[in-house]
Amino acid sequence: MVVIFGANGDLTKRKLLPALYRLAYERRLSAGFAVLGISRTPMTDDQFREKMSSSVEQYLEDSPFDKEVWTGFARSLFYMAGDVSDPQTFSKLAARVREVDAERHTGGNVLFYLSTQPSQYAEAAKGIGDAGLARGEGWRRIVIEKPFGHDLASARELSEKLHEVFRESDVYRIDHYLGKETVQNILAFRFGNGIFEPLWNRRYVNSVQITAAESIGVEGRGAYYQEAGALRDMIQNHLLQIMATTAMEPSATFQPDAVRDERAKLLRTIRIMKPSEVLENSVPGQYGPARIGGADVPGFRQEQGVGPESQTETYAAVTFFVDNWRWAGVPFFIRTGKRLPKRVTEIAIQFNAAPHAVFGEHGDETTPNLLILRIQPEEGISLRFLSKRPGAGMNLRPVSMDFNYGSSFGERSPTAYETLLLDAMIGDATLYTRQDMVEASWAVVEPILNVWHEHKFDFPNYAAGTWGPKESDDMLARHCHTWRRP
Amino acid sequence: MSTTIQPQTILHELAELWVTLGKESAPDQGSGVLRACTMTLLTVVEESEDTSDIWSVMAALMPEHPSRAIVIRFRPSAERALSSRVFSQCWMPFGQRRQICCEQIEITASDASLPDLPAVILPLAVADLPVVLWCRGARLFGLEDFPQLASIAGKVVLDSAAMGGAADILGRLDGLTRSGRILADLAWTRLTRWRQMLAQIFENRGYLARLAKVQQVRIGFGGGAPPPGAYYLGAWLLDCLEGAGARPSLTWDPAEKAVKGELVRVELNAAEGDGLRVSIALSGDPERQCAEVRVNTLANRTVFARDNDYTLLRQELSIPGRDPVFEKSLARAARMAHAE
Repeated sequence: MVVIFGANGDLTKRKLLPALYRLAYERRLSAGFAVLGISRTPMTDDQFREKMSSSVEQYLEDSPFDKEVWTGFARSLFYMAGDVSDPQTFSKLAARVREVDAERHTGGNVLFYLSTQPSQYAEAAKGIGDAGLARGEGWRRIVIEKPFGHDLASARELSEKLHEVFRESDVYRIDHYLGKETVQNILAFRFGNGIFEPLWNRRYVNSVQITAAESIGVEGRGAYYQEAGALRDMIQNHLLQIMATTAMEPSATFQPDAVRDERAKLLRTIRIMKPSEVLENSVPGQYGPARIGGADVPGFRQEQGVGPESQTETYAAVTFFVDNWRWAGVPFFIRTGKRLPKRVTEIAIQFNAAPHAVFGEHGDETTPNLLILRIQPEEGISLRFLSKRPGAGMNLRPVSMDFNYGSSFGERSPTAYETLLLDAMIGDATLYTRQDMVEASWAVVEPILNVWHEHKFDFPNYAAGTWGPKESDDMLARHCHTWRRP
Repeated sequence: MSTTIQPQTILHELAELWVTLGKESAPDQGSGVLRACTMTLLTVVEESEDTSDIWSVMAALMPEHPSRAIVIRFRPSAERALSSRVFSQCWMPFGQRRQICCEQIEITASDASLPDLPAVILPLAVADLPVVLWCRGARLFGLEDFPQLASIAGKVVLDSAAMGGAADILGRLDGLTRSGRILADLAWTRLTRWRQMLAQIFENRGYLARLAKVQQVRIGFGGGAPPPGAYYLGAWLLDCLEGAGARPSLTWDPAEKAVKGELVRVELNAAEGDGLRVSIALSGDPERQCAEVRVNTLANRTVFARDNDYTLLRQELSIPGRDPVFEKSLARAARMAHAE
C-alpha cells in the first residue's frame, strides 16, 4: 500500500499517480496493491478517483490512457481527509490502513510518501510512529522529497527526527534525477564497457561540464524559489548526485549500499572551499527582463511573490575539484539556471587534445573529443570526434556520433517516478539518497551559501534567454576553459 | 502573422519530426533514418526571394554538409511579426536502404523583430557544432541589429559583389576580420577557378623561373569601377608576385561590353625580352563560358563553369576556421580600394 500525504497536490497529480497507473498498465503492481491518499480537502474515494482519472489522462507521458486498465486501477485508490498537524489524523489513518488492508490484502506492506511541505516531514514521521504505523506485519518505508534540510544542521536534525521512527534503511530520499534512464545508464556505460573506464581519469579527461538549464522562469513558484535559490534547489541535490555518479569509483557489486557507498565517498572527496576561494570559484546570477521570440519575459524580481530587491540566485555556476587519485586537478564545472536559452540537462566530458598536431592547420586542434551524456529532454549519448572530410586533401571537421534512447529502442523509457516508486516498493534503494550523501553535499555547498549570503550582488546580471552572467564565463576563463553551447 | 515564436516549441516539433520519420522508415525492413549533422547553417534572406531556390541549395549541400538548416526570411516592416515552420529533408544514398535526414526550420520575421531573433536562434543551434550564417542581402547586412544575430555564428558568409561600393564594403569586412570575426566572401570564392588556372600555369618550371620578372598585372572587368572580386584578385596576385621577388604595377582594364562587376580578363606581363606574357580571358555567353589561357604564343581553351550558390557555399563550408589567404588578400584589397 502506498500512503500519499499531500494527495491533492501537484506532485501527486502530475507525477505520482501517472507513474503508478503506468506501472499498473505494465502489470508491475501486485494484485493487492492500493493507494491511500491523504490531504486536507474533504473528498470521498469516488471523488478522489474521478479527480485522479483526469489528472492521469492529462499528465501521462508517452503512453495511452486505457480505460479498462484505469477501471481496475481505480478500485485500488482510496482517500481520507486529514491534516498532518492534527495528531488525530494518524489514529484515523491507522484505522483506514487496516480497512484497506482487509479489503485489498496488501500483506501489511506500507510505503509512506510525503508529498507535503518539507516543514511537515518531521511532524508526519512522528505521527506515523506515534500511531504505531512504522512497524507492522510487512515492511514499512518512508519516501521524502527534497529539500532535505536547508543547510547541514537542519539536514542532520531532519534525519534524527526520521530516525526516531524509521531505520535509515527504510528512509528513501527521492532525487528524481537519479531515476532517469540516462543517469542510470552512466553506470552501465562506465562499468559495463571495457573501453571507457580506462580513459575516465585525470590522464585523459581535461574537464567535466554539467549543465542543467531551464528555459522557463519560476512559473508561480516565486515565493518558494525566493527562499531556495538555484544552488540549494539544484546543485546541492540533483547535480552533485549526477556528478558523483559520473565520477565515482566502480563498486564491487550492484547492491544498493555498495553503489551508494561509492557515491557517498566521491561526495566526501569534493574539495570544500575556504571562504576566500568562494567568489573565485562560484557565480550567482539572477535573470532580468527580456524579449524572447517576440514576447516580453519578466525578470525574476518582477515575478509574483518575489521581492523587488531579492538577492536570490536563479543561476549558479560552481567550479568543483575532486581531491582523489583519479580526478586530482580536473575541474568539474557545474551550472544551472532559470530562463536560459533552452531546457537541457547534460554532462559533457571533455578529453585532452591529441598530444601532437599531426595535421597542422588542416586539423582543428581546438576541437577536443567530447562525450555528452544527455539526460533531458532527449536522453542519449553523443561522442564528438574529428573526421576527415570526404574528398581531396586532409581536412578534418568535428562530427557527432549519436545514440538516442528514444529512437534506438523500440520501447518507451519509464519515467523517473515509475522507476523510483517501483524501486521503493521492492526495497531497492540504489537510486535513493542516503543520509551521509545528503550531509556530504551540504558540507560542499554550505560554505558557498554562507559567502553569497554575506554579499550584496548587483542583480539582475543576465538577461532572460541568455546563457547566464558574464562573470560565469570569466570564471571558466580563469581556468582556461569556455562553457560549451548545449 | 503572429508576433511571437517559442524556441522550445520549435525544438519540440523537431523532436516529433524524428519520431515520425523513425516510424515511417519501417525498421523491420532493415532500413531506418540516420540523423546527420555537422553544423547549424543559418541563412538570412529577403522575404521577396524565392525560398524554393534557397532550399534547393540546402538540399544540394546536405549530403556533404549535413546540417540543421534555418532560413530566416526578412520583411521590411516596422511592425513586429514572427512565425516559423519545421520540416525535414531526406535522401537515400545510392545503393543504400537507410535514409539520411536533416532538419529544416523556416522563420519569417519583420525587420522590427530582428532584435527578438538571437534569443530564438541561440537555443536552436545544434549543441557543440559550428554555426555558419549566410547573409544574402546588402540591406540585411546593414540592419542595425544584424551584428547581434551574427554574433551567434562562428563564421559569416556574404557576398560583397552584391553590396555596393567596393571601398566601403571591403573596409567594413576588413574591420570585422581584424576584430576577430571569421568571414567568408563569395566574391573571393568565385576567384578559386581563376587562381587555380593561374597557379597551374606556373607548374611549368620554365615559367615559374620568370615569375620575378613580371612588371605589370592587368585585370579586366565589366562596368566602370573595379568590383570587390577585382580588388581581391589584384591583392592576391600582388602578394604572390611580391613573394616571388617581383614588383609589378596593377592596371585596371574596364570592359564596357561585359556584364557589370564580372571579371573577364587577367594578364601578367614581363618586360619585353624577358619572355613571359600570360593572359586568361573569358568568352562566350554567361551560361557556357570558355577561358582562353595564353602563355606567350601558346593558347589553350578550357570550359569555365560558372559558379552558383551551391558550388560557392560548398567550398566555403569546407573551410571550418579562418582562411589566412583570404584574410591577407582582404586586408590588401581594402587598402587598395580605399586608396583609390
